[in-house]
Amino acid sequence: MNTKASTVRQPSPWVLPAVLTLVLISFLAAVFLGIVDIPARDVLSALTGSGSPEARSIILDIRLPRIVTGILAGVQFALAGLLLQTITRNPLADPSLMGVSQGATLTVTMFLLFTVYLANPDSHSVNELPIAWLPPAGMVGGMIAGGIIYLLAFRLDLSPIRITLCGIAVGAVMHALAIGLIAGWGSARIEIILEWMSGSFYARTWDHALFLLPFTVVGFAMLPLIYRPLVLLRFDAAVARSFGLSYRRQFSLVLLLSCALAASAVGAVGPIVFVGLIVPHLARFLAGRHFPLVLPLTIVLGAVIVTLGDLIGRLAGGAEEIPIGVVTAVTGVPVLLALLRKIP
Amino acid sequence: MDARKSSITVGLIVVATILIIVAGLLPGAKMLSIDAVLRVLVAPDGKIESILVWTLRLPRSLTAAVAGAGLAVSGYILQSLTRNPLADPGITGVTAGAVAPIVTCFVFFPSISGHLYPFVGLAGGLAAATVTFWVARGGTGHPLHLALGGVSVSLFLGAITIYVLLFAGPQSTALLFWLVGGFSGRSWANLLQMLPWVLSGVLGALILYRVIAMFSLDDRSAAGMGVQLGFWKPVLLILGICPVAGVAPIAGPVAFVGLAAPHIARLLRPRGTGWEIGLAAAIGSLIVTTADLIARTVAIPKELPVGIITALLGGPIFVYLIQRGRLDFRSEGP
Repeated sequence: MNTKASTVRQPSPWVLPAVLTLVLISFLAAVFLGIVDIPARDVLSALTGSGSPEARSIILDIRLPRIVTGILAGVQFALAGLLLQTITRNPLADPSLMGVSQGATLTVTMFLLFTVYLANPDSHSVNELPIAWLPPAGMVGGMIAGGIIYLLAFRLDLSPIRITLCGIAVGAVMHALAIGLIAGWGSARIEIILEWMSGSFYARTWDHALFLLPFTVVGFAMLPLIYRPLVLLRFDAAVARSFGLSYRRQFSLVLLLSCALAASAVGAVGPIVFVGLIVPHLARFLAGRHFPLVLPLTIVLGAVIVTLGDLIGRLAGGAEEIPIGVVTAVTGVPVLLALLRKIP
Repeated sequence: MDARKSSITVGLIVVATILIIVAGLLPGAKMLSIDAVLRVLVAPDGKIESILVWTLRLPRSLTAAVAGAGLAVSGYILQSLTRNPLADPGITGVTAGAVAPIVTCFVFFPSISGHLYPFVGLAGGLAAATVTFWVARGGTGHPLHLALGGVSVSLFLGAITIYVLLFAGPQSTALLFWLVGGFSGRSWANLLQMLPWVLSGVLGALILYRVIAMFSLDDRSAAGMGVQLGFWKPVLLILGICPVAGVAPIAGPVAFVGLAAPHIARLLRPRGTGWEIGLAAAIGSLIVTTADLIARTVAIPKELPVGIITALLGGPIFVYLIQRGRLDFRSEGP
């Protein structure tokens, strides 16, 4: 992490208020705009509990839960990315580059394979898919992947670079296994998995939001506890220890937290590529390396980016909406490549 | 290892590959006996055994062998060119670059003949590699930049591929089986279509082995020995992508072979770069034919995608390399 004094500039005082306003605007836009045109007055009356039943069901049962799930997931992805980038001292660390997403994909695939396909091999019905169980299944996989990376890399006191590379390797193997299972499965029902794998908020309900909420809350509650270690973890192990940090324990704690945040989010909405990678960089860019501001900005921007990305996907795709995973991947790559070029 | 030992090693691995290919003719939905196989190999007739051997099992095994050699040489060239032990067609984004446009053509432009797919793959692979190498400053920067740049490019193209698959609807099952890499039902025509691409890569690498050897030093030394960097870098890059462009339309992306085979070849320490390339090709063939044999025999009559087996074989090698600390690249020279 670059800490050259010359690059430290004071962030503008209006950055945080501006971004908070942006959250509000994007939230309202996401509620009011959609592929079904509902007049603004109907939206308002639906929100207050009156209004036509169609408008009420579209707003309260489809759009709102979807937006809230998205915001929670976006915040978790962004926070997980920031934590990973900080502790591995690698500006490119991201849950989807480090195997967590792939681990989740693998367990979701296996879960569907065992519960649906092996349980009733002949039927072609799609209505009995255990959708509600996908988030926990994905979360277990993400945590397993994180555990494997921890055992492979950190237990041996490997450098952050090696941890990242181990993550890439574990992710690649798990991805190959998942794709292999899907292909070997050869069922007519693979579309549900494809939809999930591309990362989508489609048909997310209040259940998904409720599943994510405890993780977001725990993540927020942990922030004051890990804030000081986090500042120190940006340095070398030796330097951090000289400040009195129990490096190994704090490192493991933060790694566990970021894995839990990322894994639960992946479980709920699928692997949304790059949110965890780009948002912390955006926050750092706006905050000018003023670390106390980076953290809140990351959280807020995570919500904004995901809400806007989902809105774009919903409006641009027409009836076949573009999954947000595709939107973030396509818009995120130029940013990422520019960042990669800038890093010495 | 001197030249004689090196040639013996290559010979042994080639013999092992041939044995695996012959052994691979036996099992399947209908088991054949060894003398039946040998009989129809020498004198093909119109009986069922002969058809099984000559039109189903032999072409697919040979396709696997050729694909393995091509991927291994591709990995070797990319690793030497970038002096990065982690470079391989998968990590540098070349495979994803070849796959994404082929899938797109398959779904949206069905009128394009399958014979043009290698060209589509070559263009896509080149484009992806260019971006990755641009990010990693010609691939000679930090290994991490190359790996992360390539993985990001792969993720990007993977997202597009999945989106196209969502569009494809009923075709997506067939596409997915191709996407994970496999040799099921590959014919002589497929083999012939792939062969020139792989041959150009392998023979090109063998002919240019001196240049490749100098590239595995560093840019300055290579230039000091009279290598025209501006000319040879793009030539070697195209040479390294050619086999992938040929293999990808036929067999899909077969993971980790391009990464693992060159390292195993180097661990055996043959005589020089030329022998290393030959050894890597032979080892690649052996790995892919073995993986293919495993993939289609563990669950007869169904078969697993070969990509699972190669990922399971290659993944641990990858992690081992990371942990052993061979992150800086060193070659023995010509």
